[in-house]
Amino acid sequence: MNVRTRIYPIKTVLALLLFSIACLTLPGRAIALDGTAILQQVDKNLNPDTYEMYRKLINIEPDGSKKEFVLYSVKKGQDKMVALFLSPASEKGRSTLRLNDNMWLYIPNVGKPLRITSLQSVVGGVFNNSDILRLDYSAEYDVANISEEGDLYLLELKAKTRSIAYDSLKMLVDKKAMVPTTIECFASSGMLIKTLYYKEPKDFGDGIVRPSVLETDSPLYKGYKSAMIYAKITKKELADEVFSLNYLSRVEELR
Amino acid sequence: MLVTKVSVLFWVCMVSCGGFLLPSLSLAEDYSFNLDEFEKKAYSLGGYAEVKGEHCWINRSGAFGLLGFYDSPRSNLDRLTTTIQLDGNLNQGIVDFNWLLQAFTQNDQHESNHELNVFSAYASIKPAPSVTFEIGKKTFKWGKGYAWNPVGFINRPKDPNNPEEALEGYIGAGADLIKSFSGALQTIALTSVLLPVWEDVNEAFGEKNNLNFAAKLYLLYRDTDIDFILFTGNSRSTRFGIDLSKNLATNFEIHAELAYIPAQKSKVLNSLGRLTTREESVTSYLLGLRYLTETDITAVIEYYHNDAGYSANELDQFYQLVTDAHSSYRNTGDDSLLRQATTISKSGYARPQAGRNYLYAKITQKEPFELLYFTPGMTTIINLDDASYSLSPEAVYTGFTNWELRLRYSHLDGGRFTEQGEKLNEEKLELRLRYYF
Repeated sequence: MNVRTRIYPIKTVLALLLFSIACLTLPGRAIALDGTAILQQVDKNLNPDTYEMYRKLINIEPDGSKKEFVLYSVKKGQDKMVALFLSPASEKGRSTLRLNDNMWLYIPNVGKPLRITSLQSVVGGVFNNSDILRLDYSAEYDVANISEEGDLYLLELKAKTRSIAYDSLKMLVDKKAMVPTTIECFASSGMLIKTLYYKEPKDFGDGIVRPSVLETDSPLYKGYKSAMIYAKITKKELADEVFSLNYLSRVEELR
Repeated sequence: MLVTKVSVLFWVCMVSCGGFLLPSLSLAEDYSFNLDEFEKKAYSLGGYAEVKGEHCWINRSGAFGLLGFYDSPRSNLDRLTTTIQLDGNLNQGIVDFNWLLQAFTQNDQHESNHELNVFSAYASIKPAPSVTFEIGKKTFKWGKGYAWNPVGFINRPKDPNNPEEALEGYIGAGADLIKSFSGALQTIALTSVLLPVWEDVNEAFGEKNNLNFAAKLYLLYRDTDIDFILFTGNSRSTRFGIDLSKNLATNFEIHAELAYIPAQKSKVLNSLGRLTTREESVTSYLLGLRYLTETDITAVIEYYHNDAGYSANELDQFYQLVTDAHSSYRNTGDDSLLRQATTISKSGYARPQAGRNYLYAKITQKEPFELLYFTPGMTTIINLDDASYSLSPEAVYTGFTNWELRLRYSHLDGGRFTEQGEKLNEEKLELRLRYYF
């Protein structure tokens, strides 16, 4: 039996080897890159890099009665945010600061900032402190998986550190608008803590077009619902020093 | 870039079609938001009005019950207090004027009292976000502790039973500088205060005719708040402090304070029952935590050691002095020893927590049984040296916008010749209604 051995040029062998490696690695890498890029685009579409905004927060009880709070907020970069309560009178002047995973609450009567935790809620209802002082999703979460569901992407996000309020998120992203429609928030035990619903797109000017309502409900608060209504989002230059404990009593001056 | 353009186009189309879609959406919930009423004004006014009724069961055999009611003994006291607090701000460019006023009237079967206090009234000049100059009367609340602040060298002492209430300030001038960085050191801030003590100016602070200086250097370093605090001047002796606080988890915060006073003067009774001045080096500290459980129970727990406090034996000596003075009054009708004991009590023995070692715990449960805006809680303060304690269950309801209703009951005990066992009240029931405007 004659065995014919075919000799391939070394360049061809190397090219085939590289192609094989690329075939094995590229799909995974492409998914990771796409997921991260999509998440960053979602952040970009939800908020400008540095801005001020006005929000109304409504807690809706099972009987339909409501309690409303109005907040003025400023955010800079991925990790700095301050919110000031403008209404009601019982909360007026309270301000909260977030720097990365650190959060503080300033109450005028108390006269000094107190460290608070992200899972607490300064307003009651379903929104906790990390919802009110939310940083960019891409700053807090890595994309663990991405899949497609019709007109939506499903991003499965995993918290970068244990100090993030929710251990994992399932985020449905509208493919065309590249903004979230629904986000399910889970504890490390896998328990669903709450679901966020982004609604009612609005043109805020200056190229900012995004949902103007964020609703939430939670199996932990059956029958209760909370909503955040965004009335004004404007790009604004801010000094880093605005995001410090010493400035917390003076946030009103930024308006 | 393409994705951005597509997304903007999509939303513009959606908004354009909004005329058809939005009315039906907004009918589902009323999400109207009129920003006009929140436009910034050159001035702002606010505050609260409060009515508080108290029923006190007097500790008739306790030292402070004897001092307070030796000439008109009574077993209970009903007190009605009405308070109005007004705060405001006037802004003119880089200058702000801030004020906080409080007026109250208090009536019970024993006495009536009314006062108007200027808690703060000061001007701030802010040439840049990182620089502030202030002059006037301002309240300082330095330190990380919730119930006590051993490093609060220019603070007014707060009531651990109501640590979140406003306090009167001191007249002075100060500067505040802030600098932010990226990296392990995120913020550095220096606050410095000149605090004079002259005739009719800050007289309660310490010795007169002195200009005092206090400074606080704040660092946010590796996600930890750290303050280095210094006070020097002749109204009070020089003192040094450090405090810190840090979040260990999303539901767990720790804090601590340490104060060192090389030469602290305090008044203490000697073996002859005479008041003498003691000077010693003291180190006081506080260790605390704040923990939130999965069931929304918040616990604030603090341990406080105060080297400058009285030992259990020293407090015993004072209680014995009062008991002896009262026996003398009963036998002779002469109250001079009791009046002398009252003067001695004001030198430090009547302080809310006059001892050396305390444990504070406040536990609150947010909205149990799905009762929204209802927060029951329990506060205890234990004197660890004599095992006396106060226990105060309470319930707070904030369901009506701008109204707050608080019901609180306090029980104090520990037996004779213990700190809590010798207090004026052995029990107290309090109902407070507050309206914010």
